[in-house]
Amino acid sequence: MRKLWAVLKREYRETVRKPSFLIMTVLAPFLMGALMLVPAFLASRGMGERRVAVLDGTGRLRAAVEGLAGEAPGERSAFARGRGTNVPTGRIVPEYVDLFTVDPKNAVGPYLERLSVERTPKERRLDGVLLVPADAFERPLTHLTYFSRSAADLLAQERLGRAVNRALQRERLAARGVAPAELELILAPLPVETVQVTKSGQERRGGEGSFVLAMLFLALLFIPSLVYGQEVMRGVIQEKTDRVVELLVSSMTPMELLSGKILGMAAIGLTQMAVWVAMGGAVAAAGLSEARSAGFDLSSVLRPSIAVWFVVFFLLSYLVTVGVYAAGGAIVSSEKEAQQVLTPVMFVFLVPWFLMMPILTNPDSTLSVVLSLVPIYTPMTMFIRLLVSEPPAWQVALSLVLSVATIAGLLKASAKVFRAGLLATGKRPTIPELWRWLKEA
Amino acid sequence: MSRVLSLHDVVKHYGSVKAVDGVSFEVNAGKITGLLGRNGAGKTTTLRMITGVLRPDRGRVELFGAAVEGARDRLGYLPEERGLYRKMRVLDHLLFLAEIKGRSPASMRPAAERWLKRFELSEKKDSKVEELSKGNQQKVQLAGALLFDPELVVLDEPGSGLDPVNVVLVRRLLRELAAEGRAILLSTHQMGEAEKLCDEIVLVHAGMVVRSGPLAEVKASGGRDAVHLEFTGDGAFLAEHPAVASARIDTNRAELSLAPGADAQELLAAAAVRLRVLRFEVVAPSLEEVFLEAVGEAAPPEVAA
Repeated sequence: MRKLWAVLKREYRETVRKPSFLIMTVLAPFLMGALMLVPAFLASRGMGERRVAVLDGTGRLRAAVEGLAGEAPGERSAFARGRGTNVPTGRIVPEYVDLFTVDPKNAVGPYLERLSVERTPKERRLDGVLLVPADAFERPLTHLTYFSRSAADLLAQERLGRAVNRALQRERLAARGVAPAELELILAPLPVETVQVTKSGQERRGGEGSFVLAMLFLALLFIPSLVYGQEVMRGVIQEKTDRVVELLVSSMTPMELLSGKILGMAAIGLTQMAVWVAMGGAVAAAGLSEARSAGFDLSSVLRPSIAVWFVVFFLLSYLVTVGVYAAGGAIVSSEKEAQQVLTPVMFVFLVPWFLMMPILTNPDSTLSVVLSLVPIYTPMTMFIRLLVSEPPAWQVALSLVLSVATIAGLLKASAKVFRAGLLATGKRPTIPELWRWLKEA
Repeated sequence: MSRVLSLHDVVKHYGSVKAVDGVSFEVNAGKITGLLGRNGAGKTTTLRMITGVLRPDRGRVELFGAAVEGARDRLGYLPEERGLYRKMRVLDHLLFLAEIKGRSPASMRPAAERWLKRFELSEKKDSKVEELSKGNQQKVQLAGALLFDPELVVLDEPGSGLDPVNVVLVRRLLRELAAEGRAILLSTHQMGEAEKLCDEIVLVHAGMVVRSGPLAEVKASGGRDAVHLEFTGDGAFLAEHPAVASARIDTNRAELSLAPGADAQELLAAAAVRLRVLRFEVVAPSLEEVFLEAVGEAAPPEVAA
């Protein structure tokens, strides 16, 4: 035990002292944040402003069109609420043109001219022209025409269309004698709110946010495991090439050596996680209140029990991954070779990542249940299920037992491969040779 | 004299190659035992089974009367292929090496400082291992094998990679350790070195022990005594003397190897009758010669420097 501790301590101390550890620990949250925020930022900027001329043949849509200007980017009007699109759409700057008295056919030309990038100065340039025919109120089968430089300018088109249609509906109803006070009531759509009913009959709201959250958690479960798995592998290979390993093996059992290394790495991972949690705490708190004001109540997803499960599954994921990488390091003789061997292994580990959507949307399907019971997939899959659903206690218990048993078995097998592989720095062993190592040691 | 280590009919295969083939010998406290043989004779494999790095396919290794695994903390080991964590600081590394032998690092600090001082490495204690010269790295590793006060010290080719000054330093150190009552087992392919250092010899060839015992006994077990003679007069008749097996005779000197059972004294008497003897010396055979005879080869092996 003391030797295990010695190895653990050494791994920990030597890793934490490395500049790369400090950099990774301090910078990773910023990188991660940047990774998530930059695309959103770019997207909303890319949408930017849309200058759109609405050529109104009816002459009665001024209020509706100019109302569009008041909508902030990404903000959804009270009516649009619950319609689903929460993608930022950028600001629409409408330019209302009353064509009631003019023949639209002749008036459109100059506006279309202003769509052209070459012939129009930037201040006057239009991004779109929406033509509302004069008979829009009378003839139900007519249509709106949207002229734009880009055929895929779907969002602006959709929003414009919706606003104009709403105004048309209102006008039509008003024309048929509906009182203005009742109009809002008649036209108000009903938002859909997701309520998860738990086994104990409790109700949980705010499931919409769990997708993003699941992504974040999975990344946190997975990425450090992989990073430190490779670190352990590199360490083992280094010990082989530096020839330290003979001293180590002559002083302790391979099991002590391996456990010490893996637990040392787990301690490093937990340290890093603690730093990240501390750093992210403030940001997350701000994020939560923001999310709540935007209509998501994440506190129902971020329950205290989830924190506990996260630590449990983080450790499991860590131990399994690091164990596999350590054994890999013992088998191969150089890092280059290791990459070849372990790239396919990584894809096997990544399966739940690719299957996240089906698991998230259907956490109790056969696929989800089976995956969550396969030890190397347990950490990620079972954690998603716990996050968004309520898997039966026996399944959780079984998955934990299987995982722990697998880790123990993996450690044992790795220790055997370790002893045989450590001194063999020549060529990579064949499968039969590996099998012999497993039986022999 | 107490037995520290014993091997009983130990066998180790690598695939179909038999690296060690039924080796038995003992190592006793207070003695320096040399495991001698050419490269590939099975020395390193044997030592690795003693240190628990490898397990024998057959046979038994007993350390302090028990299995190897139970006694590893009483054994210090200097492997043939030296290696340390390159990025670790020297003192930290020494303490780590003591800690994996079950000693508390705090209690080992004075010993570590003492060894560094002895090897003139005190100023380097906070340097990284990779910043040290190769010779100094070797000394750090040797200190690591000794600082936790092991009762048995196993050294695989301790002299390799050391300059002559350090070879002498190590030789003196090993003598000292043996005098303190520790058992020393070292392997080497340099017979001359072993002759200067070892009390007990185990000669191995092709995975088997060909001779073993105290140095003097091993040397007496084979080879022939030789006579070196300087004289004035005609020495040609010496070659015909019954005590002489073979002779090389120059004008004023002769090197004669004695026939089995022959008495050098008779030869001296015969020589004194017909020559003026300036020098007469009986020379015991070298370990090298004993080895070659035991292995049954006449040509001297290539000895790496």
